[in-house]
Amino acid sequence: MMLAVLAVLEPIERPLTSLLEWLHGSLGLSWAWSIVALTIIVRMALVPLTVRQIHSMQAMQAHMPEMKAIQQRYKNDRQKKNEELMKFYRENKINPAASCLPILFQIPIFISLFFVLKDFEKEVLPEYPGSDLHWLGLVPNITDAANSHWTGYLLLALYATSQTASTLLMSQTMDKTQRTLMLILPIAFLFVVLNFPSGLVIYWVTTNLWTVGQGLVTRGLRPKQKQPPKRTSRTPPKERAEPVAADGAEPVEAPAEKQAPSQPRRVKRKKKRKAKR
Amino acid sequence: MIVLRLPAYVGMALVYGYRYTLGALFPASCKYHPSCSQYALDALRSYGLVRGSVLAGWRLLRCNPWSHGGVDYVEQQRLFR
Repeated sequence: MMLAVLAVLEPIERPLTSLLEWLHGSLGLSWAWSIVALTIIVRMALVPLTVRQIHSMQAMQAHMPEMKAIQQRYKNDRQKKNEELMKFYRENKINPAASCLPILFQIPIFISLFFVLKDFEKEVLPEYPGSDLHWLGLVPNITDAANSHWTGYLLLALYATSQTASTLLMSQTMDKTQRTLMLILPIAFLFVVLNFPSGLVIYWVTTNLWTVGQGLVTRGLRPKQKQPPKRTSRTPPKERAEPVAADGAEPVEAPAEKQAPSQPRRVKRKKKRKAKR
Repeated sequence: MIVLRLPAYVGMALVYGYRYTLGALFPASCKYHPSCSQYALDALRSYGLVRGSVLAGWRLLRCNPWSHGGVDYVEQQRLFR
């Protein structure tokens, strides 16, 4: 089983190693900074995927009140709530921000980097005499386990913070239970991460920070929602009409007009017209 | 007959393994309901290792930034009849 995994990862490990070697040898970055650079390169390669995410996050933000309403309505039935939410996405042509595929791309890279760093001292370092594995003069050896030095714990704290921040940013539309779970699990896994090479934690912190930065940029790009001019007791038809109008994509006047006749408003209007005449 | 279902159980064990290790480490959620991992479990349970894996793989491919997500149960699949 393990061998099969290694065989699958081999074609990823080799380019990763060469990339690290290039960053170190040609650009003169230290090994630790090479990992940071590598992370940034990986995330930049994923940006085309992320552009879609940014659009979808904007759409989601625009529909937030309705989604909150659905979550409130079905708060006791998780299954039903998820179903209704997904239906709502589909009807409003929202692509939910998260999707499994981009994450799936990152997992093999992550595991490969684990193996690359594990054998780094044996396989790569001898070719570069005189280079050392410290980071910022603080972390003495990035291939050692994070719990081997006090700075490792510092890195872990950074990891936990950045992970929490990125989860908070990415999960705003998730339901509460799921969100809490997503926040707790990484912290619960800290004791596993303790034994990972510090370099891997560096990768992780960098990728999380990238996610956070991306999330913040996304938020900055989001067009500010216009405040509804009037407050009425009957909000549902208004809510439905407004975000679509803000998008300017599709005219959804039709349903609004269909609903109008059943409401007393039109009756009033007729009366006014009669009065004018 | 349980022997015949063993491969599917191995696959399901792998999905559970993913869920509680790597899946927990990456901040993400699925755009579909049920989620991709749940879909994989359902597919493996109802269709066995080979067809279940194909269904799960197809679902993962659909779970990309360009798709719309939505409600999508294994029973609604049209690959295998």
